[in-house]
Amino acid sequence: MSRIGVFVCHCGTNIASVVDPDRLTPAAREMPGVVYAADYRYMCSEPGQQMIKDSISEHGIDRIVIASCSPRMHETTFRKMLKGTSINPYMLEIANIREQCSWVHADKGRATEKAIGLVRMAVSKVSKNEPLYAQSIPITKRALVIGGGIAGIQAALDIADAGHEVVLLEREPSIGGKMAMLDKTFPTLDCSACISTPKMVDVGAHPNIRLMTYCEVESVSGYIGSFEVAIRQKARYVNHDICTGCGLCETKCPVKVDSEFNLGLSKRPAIYKLFPQAVPSKPVIDSESCRMLKDGKCGICAKLCPLGCIDYKDEARTVTESFGAIIMATGYQLVDWAAMYGEYGGGRYRDIISGLQFERTVNAAGPTEGHILRPSDGREPETVVIVKCVGSRDPKKGKSYCSRACCMYAAKHAHQILEKLPGSRVFIFYIDVRTPGKGYEEFYDQTRMDGAVYVRGRISKIYEEDGGLVCQGEDSLLGSQVRVRADMVILETAMEPSQGIEGLTSMLGAARDANNWIQEAHPKLRPVETQVGGVFLAGTCQGPKDIPDTVSQASAAAAKVIGLLNKSEMETSPMISAVERDKCSGCGACVGICPYKAITLQEIDDRLGAKRIKREVASVNSGLCQGCGACTAACRTGALDLLGFRNGQILEEVDALCL
Amino acid sequence: MSDRQEKMRQSAEKLLRDGEVGYVIGWGATRFCDRTTPVFIDSPEGAASLVWNEHAVNSLAKYLLDDKYPDKKIGLFARGCESRAVNRMIKDNQVKRESLYLIGVPCDGKSSDRCRLCRERNPLVYDVLLWEPEANAAPADRFERVRGVEAMSPDERYRYWGGVYDRCIRCYACRNACPVCSCRECYVDMGRTGFQGKQHSRSDNQIFGVTRAFHVGDRCIECGECERACPMGLPIMGQTQKMLKEINELSGEYECGLDADSDSFLGRFDLDDKDEFM
Repeated sequence: MSRIGVFVCHCGTNIASVVDPDRLTPAAREMPGVVYAADYRYMCSEPGQQMIKDSISEHGIDRIVIASCSPRMHETTFRKMLKGTSINPYMLEIANIREQCSWVHADKGRATEKAIGLVRMAVSKVSKNEPLYAQSIPITKRALVIGGGIAGIQAALDIADAGHEVVLLEREPSIGGKMAMLDKTFPTLDCSACISTPKMVDVGAHPNIRLMTYCEVESVSGYIGSFEVAIRQKARYVNHDICTGCGLCETKCPVKVDSEFNLGLSKRPAIYKLFPQAVPSKPVIDSESCRMLKDGKCGICAKLCPLGCIDYKDEARTVTESFGAIIMATGYQLVDWAAMYGEYGGGRYRDIISGLQFERTVNAAGPTEGHILRPSDGREPETVVIVKCVGSRDPKKGKSYCSRACCMYAAKHAHQILEKLPGSRVFIFYIDVRTPGKGYEEFYDQTRMDGAVYVRGRISKIYEEDGGLVCQGEDSLLGSQVRVRADMVILETAMEPSQGIEGLTSMLGAARDANNWIQEAHPKLRPVETQVGGVFLAGTCQGPKDIPDTVSQASAAAAKVIGLLNKSEMETSPMISAVERDKCSGCGACVGICPYKAITLQEIDDRLGAKRIKREVASVNSGLCQGCGACTAACRTGALDLLGFRNGQILEEVDALCL
Repeated sequence: MSDRQEKMRQSAEKLLRDGEVGYVIGWGATRFCDRTTPVFIDSPEGAASLVWNEHAVNSLAKYLLDDKYPDKKIGLFARGCESRAVNRMIKDNQVKRESLYLIGVPCDGKSSDRCRLCRERNPLVYDVLLWEPEANAAPADRFERVRGVEAMSPDERYRYWGGVYDRCIRCYACRNACPVCSCRECYVDMGRTGFQGKQHSRSDNQIFGVTRAFHVGDRCIECGECERACPMGLPIMGQTQKMLKEINELSGEYECGLDADSDSFLGRFDLDDKDEFM
């Protein structure tokens, strides 16, 4: 017979003001198997924990129920406490009488009744608990950061500075990401390149960081502590081991195609560096436009190169590397507004540009060397209309969410135009102006002082008339239609997850939310973790963010990785699925249903009567299993059971509640 | 008919004589002229006892589960229903394709109620085909019976299924006949599951019915063996078919056992699953 101790927490008045401990504690004392019950103001406090420990030895308690807050809050606290006692940390159940009782009920009498029911369930369950023991898995002391934007750069630098090896993987020919494309950053207006390129150089020079640009993840297997990642190095056609990045090859290339970095506002050759400050500062050949690779005719760059770096026969290679942890820093892209907004011309009007195209335009290293000129005729615009929330906050046509950074960079764009083009006029069409951030509201105020005209309303239509763009919309504060004749229109478009996120998250087993952003493990308490152990999040792959938030999150993710890599092995949760081999028929229903790819079929030797046979049974990988329990529901014969949540334990709870 | 029966006998005899298979599963005569019985022929001489007539109603695939680790290949006469069962068993990792020799026998329609809904007379997988494929008879509306039950009011429906399960004698013939039921130990045979009583009562019978439907519903090949085997004549395939109908409405055309690769509907995890209930 089990000897159960029940400890009821008041949580100050959080619980005790609604649930009556003077009724609950005596009621618990009467429950089957309970040998001791007590209540205290704060069970999680030091004296509270001491009281539990003393009671365990004094009353010979072999398992406990703590009626308190959510187990997500303090279950680990109490498990740690039990490590110093005679009982196993898993001989513990938490009855949540705060979030699921006192906080949500007003009727004290009935809330107390419910609390008694919740404690009765926990007492029934704990009577079926069994000691569980954690397993240890070794940790490969090496991190992979996927994505070389500012988030990936920051995370890689932090981990490397802590003394661990990092591979920073980037699919473009250079790291830098979107931040490298920006001109100035709000609200301080410091030059984006001036603050990001030194970090890029640091990455390139850091002894603990290996840069893998022009690479993509091909497959991921394994689990926290030991991921095996197949990385595909795309063919560069330039031998980076000997190339010095002199740039001679780029000068005579006869091909001219739209520059990705300048978003089509300028041209680049087929052999190119993404941008002048690219890291690594060495070119690659774009095989889709190179004449030599397409038609076998040209070869000018090979003739020009003084070191013979050009290798037209270069091929993609796949290497497999081991990592202990992975940081996703895959960033965002802007939505294709032209496909979504026919009323804005659907991309027909050259003088309607996206915010990011404006960044390139106003950038001194951009296609116009920083002069704000209309793409159509190269004339300086006198009137500019900025439209915010294009694709954001528009559930019908675009995304329902707010892209968070646009209010601020719209203000920045307005400020830059008004500063660079004296006498110009800027109209900003907005739904709301959201400026939560240090110095943000002040910056917005300043922009209005500069002369930017904020008009509350959406633009319903833009059409061309006499060489200008007529923007028609509603001023919802005046309640009247307005029409602005603009020379140029900037659309501050919504962020969406980078292309390719689906494949990558599927390989990792990480979940995505309704908008395809990668889902964090808990929106408040585990914001940089994913549900997959060892996979962390940095930057906009988790949701729209500005640079300060991105960098903070990158450092937070790095801290998590450093904490993990500092250990040589780690304990896995013992609350995972266990297979009863005798029952398992090897049907594999669990294999297909496991979100974490934690179950495989394993061949075992068995006997059938006098005959020796080999048959397959399910086998759970303790490093991968997250204890979700999907397999236990899928297993018809009940060969799989979740330790800590065995079917028998749950039925015991249900019986306690219903019978 | 006798021509085909002769082909079957010759084929079985040759397979056994060549030592290609350890035994052949087919149909044999009984002392009743309107019944056949499954037979297991393990000698060339025995092949002469095979029969093929309109009374060869039993689906033979289920017997493969009784000999999952054979020393030699098992010869199995396979019609549409046997072949779909085999596909499902291969996918469920219960039998290995290489331990089977499937003798394809396109079906000309049998005298059983269970064949009324047949959608596939010809074997979908076989090693040899003994005669030309048959034209599939246009089946009656696949979900006609389900629709009939759906049209009832909730009270009527409860009375209907309650009445069905009042008559269930819990003999588990439905489970024993089902080619998809392949657990090493069925939950109803376990000592104490905590939710399935052994008593013969409406509620425990219903729990069995519902559990059975959920255990096999998304893999049901609609062979109708459960209903054929039921000594009380209960319309229990209506339950698995209800599951299939729901799946069809939720995710498009869905039919089990047409190949050996498709995952069962409830046996897969997909991040893009519709989760409209969340």
